[in-house]
Amino acid sequence: MRRWLVVLLPVALGWGRTEKEAVPTSFILEHVKDSYDWHITDMPWGRNPDGSRHYIPIVIPLPRILYHPQRGVSVFFVHGHTEAEIKAELEKHGYTLGADGKIAAIDCEPILDLSLTKTAFQLLLVGMLLLWVGRIAAKAYQKNQNGVPTGIARVLEPVILFIRDEVAVPNLHHHADRFMPFLLTIFFFIWLSNLFGLTPLNSNIMGNITLTFLLALIAFLVIHFNASKGYWSHIFWYPGVPVWLKLFMMPIEVIGMFAKPFALMMRLFANILAGHLMMLSIIGLIFILAAVLKSVVVGLGVSVFSVLLGLFVMALETLVAALQAYIFTMLSAVFLGMAMEESH
Amino acid sequence: MWLEASTVHYFGAALGAGLAVIGAGIGIGTLASSALQGIARQPSAAGEIRNNMILTAALVEGVALIAEVVAILIVFLK
Repeated sequence: MRRWLVVLLPVALGWGRTEKEAVPTSFILEHVKDSYDWHITDMPWGRNPDGSRHYIPIVIPLPRILYHPQRGVSVFFVHGHTEAEIKAELEKHGYTLGADGKIAAIDCEPILDLSLTKTAFQLLLVGMLLLWVGRIAAKAYQKNQNGVPTGIARVLEPVILFIRDEVAVPNLHHHADRFMPFLLTIFFFIWLSNLFGLTPLNSNIMGNITLTFLLALIAFLVIHFNASKGYWSHIFWYPGVPVWLKLFMMPIEVIGMFAKPFALMMRLFANILAGHLMMLSIIGLIFILAAVLKSVVVGLGVSVFSVLLGLFVMALETLVAALQAYIFTMLSAVFLGMAMEESH
Repeated sequence: MWLEASTVHYFGAALGAGLAVIGAGIGIGTLASSALQGIARQPSAAGEIRNNMILTAALVEGVALIAEVVAILIVFLK
């Protein structure tokens, strides 16, 4: 205890004040939201003239792709950081920032913003990684005919067999092989995206509700394009019950039809978002408490607990990354199996 | 007035999040206790019971998470 005091006391006396920019609420929000450039981190680099620390942002710039009905598509990069700088650069290309913070044309024409945002870029990155790994695995199987997997295929085979034997076959029976590509794509894409979100690269792919909405929409379309006659009759004209009950069941079943993919969307989005928020809040607690109480000792004390708790949450999130991918795949397969069941 | 609008927002969001967690906790707790009893009585069915437990836990959790998202939206979009 005394040894700790000896170590901590000079620290407390020396740096009694923490810096103002340490409060991380805006940092957490920036991580969660989508943005026009991929801001990985800030690197401290010397000091400003007024003595505060100077930071160099490490940013991967992403192109703005804007479609204007008269001028067509224009692609350019914006290098500014403050709102005024961004506005000035946009105005060079005939665009400006609207009152709601969105890009608008100077001549007030309605435009289409197709910019490659942070999430879209990372999405493509994960997709290409998946394509590359899949190609390598497929080639490994083409090369050796005795069926023993080599290289990366050795890692993928147990996972693929798990999806086939535990998810596809029990739910889809003899249709399983037809839907394996769909299930595997969904599983590996969600899993890899979630794992990518756990790296310190400022990535939050599945914590974006637009993306999970699209995944749920794909699942919805696959389910309803393969639905049997019995499934539709159970929704719109429930067999074997009186007519008044048929009319009563119809709206409930129609709501249920949309509620299932809605729950898929919300579950994945909220799980990943909650994980990221929890992680950032636990680590951010160090800086918030140190800044509020104006003491580095408090920050150091809290950091012991925060780092241990953060480590635990990180381990949990690694599990959740795979679990959510499994649950999305499993529920898609269950709903698909229910929809394809022949009436009896 | 001593109660500001943003205070009411935060209070509502926190209260909603907490209530949703109570519901999900009761649901998943009951589910896990029943599943463990089932496994204790019939250990050979452990795999199947576990799969169904995860599936049902996901359904319970999904409803709770919808409430949590609403709570987050209250804070972010106020």
